[in-house]
Amino acid sequence: MPKRINVVLSQGQSNNPAKRKLEEDIVTALLMEVGIDVTVIPHLYDLAPDGTGMLALQGVSGNLVVHSWMYERAARWILDRNSIAGHCGVTLLTAEDEEDEDDETEQEQKDRVLDGRQLPNRKIYCIDLRSSKQAAEFVAEIKRIAAEEATQVVDLMNWVGGNAKPEQLERFAQPTNDTALGSQPPAAKPDSGPAELFRIEETGGRRWYPVIDYSRCTNCMECIDFCLFGVYGVDRVETILVEQPDNCRKGCPACSRVCPENAIIFPQHKTPAIAGADVAAGSMKIDLSRLFGAPEGTEDAFEVAARERDEQLVMAGRQAVGMDDLLARRQPSTVADSDKDELDSLIDELDDLNL
Amino acid sequence: MSDSLVFLMGEFEARFPTDRQYARNHMWALPVDDRWRFGFAAYAVRLLQDVYFLDWTIDAPAQIHIKQEMGAIESKKAESTLYAPATGNILHFNEELLADPSAINVDKYGNGWLFEMQAVRDEFLAPEEYIEYLGEVWEVTQRTIKGQMNE
Repeated sequence: MPKRINVVLSQGQSNNPAKRKLEEDIVTALLMEVGIDVTVIPHLYDLAPDGTGMLALQGVSGNLVVHSWMYERAARWILDRNSIAGHCGVTLLTAEDEEDEDDETEQEQKDRVLDGRQLPNRKIYCIDLRSSKQAAEFVAEIKRIAAEEATQVVDLMNWVGGNAKPEQLERFAQPTNDTALGSQPPAAKPDSGPAELFRIEETGGRRWYPVIDYSRCTNCMECIDFCLFGVYGVDRVETILVEQPDNCRKGCPACSRVCPENAIIFPQHKTPAIAGADVAAGSMKIDLSRLFGAPEGTEDAFEVAARERDEQLVMAGRQAVGMDDLLARRQPSTVADSDKDELDSLIDELDDLNL
Repeated sequence: MSDSLVFLMGEFEARFPTDRQYARNHMWALPVDDRWRFGFAAYAVRLLQDVYFLDWTIDAPAQIHIKQEMGAIESKKAESTLYAPATGNILHFNEELLADPSAINVDKYGNGWLFEMQAVRDEFLAPEEYIEYLGEVWEVTQRTIKGQMNE
């Protein structure tokens, strides 16, 4: 029997009429379906950790499909920071190239923080509302996910056949049953009952803070060393976390630039790689920044990070520290030829071809 | 409104009130008591057209340098980072524009003001000087727009 599926729609901050219409078209279409609960929230990133929006999301049990005007990774790890965790559901509706996922598996194997974590027995699908302009495509994807979830039994058959995955064995040894632990007792709702809509209003202002992608983070502590505003901390098992998000300096993405694994996301930053894109996607609109006074520069990421940090220190009435030893040591321009990796050599060879 | 000067952007008549000064990043600056109030001049609003989203990347009050990055804007036609028009202390932003930025289009020289600041140095242009400056940059602006459209 199909389980009810929880769909969350996080509204954008922009008053772009096309975006507003897409949001409402999706909600309207979903209300014609059965077996779906739709929750409309203000922009996910801006929700207060103890606000009604986040509490409502924490109360949702079972599989979750979250739509937002952010990259999938950004949404997933904002939820994770607020104890809304689950296995990463794979959506087929995406704005990005799938190709680079292959690249990632070719990366050298490192221990990621996520490897040591147990996730609740549920899936969370994050969908970027920029993936399509058609509400129908989002609705079709939600139906596909619902169907996928209804056929989960297959996993168990593999197990019976003797091919248990590590997480299945884990679950067998330590049943978590997290899905039943909502803040409200699970209502005796018929799984195939009509769709229901919940609208949550929250009037907090805009927020700005880093979001850590623990599937990339290696707990190297570069960020906690770099940030001089006390945003980062460690938990009881010495794992890095964003401890004081509101200490973060509005607009400053500097720690993201110094993260060796590109694991720090600022979902609202204009640079796709910092905002959580897997690959830098080109912008469709005209960039007027040069006309409006953008400086022309040739800084590398570490110099930019040092400058951005200094700007924030000065604005906070503190002393600028510039390029400190920790940063200078990691600057790629100081890397000798012998330290180049394969990709560097390949690019050099391509350059030499003079195509 | 008081008298204004006109600059022709193609067929479009962009009007610039003479009761205030202008910054080279296409903002107007109006003295209010001991501070300056800033907003987008007609040149910028014409290029942007309908503004959908405005965001500031600093919290007021804040010391800021001329040309320092301070925000971002998204409109029907364009998007841009925003930079400080002068060096000084940003006192506060027009908070109403964050929820609904449409006043930038409806009333750019009045309720659509962006922020107030104490400018340390006033390097602003008189309306006549600004019009002259627009004559110099209009060609570059057109090239920028066409160049990017053809990419």
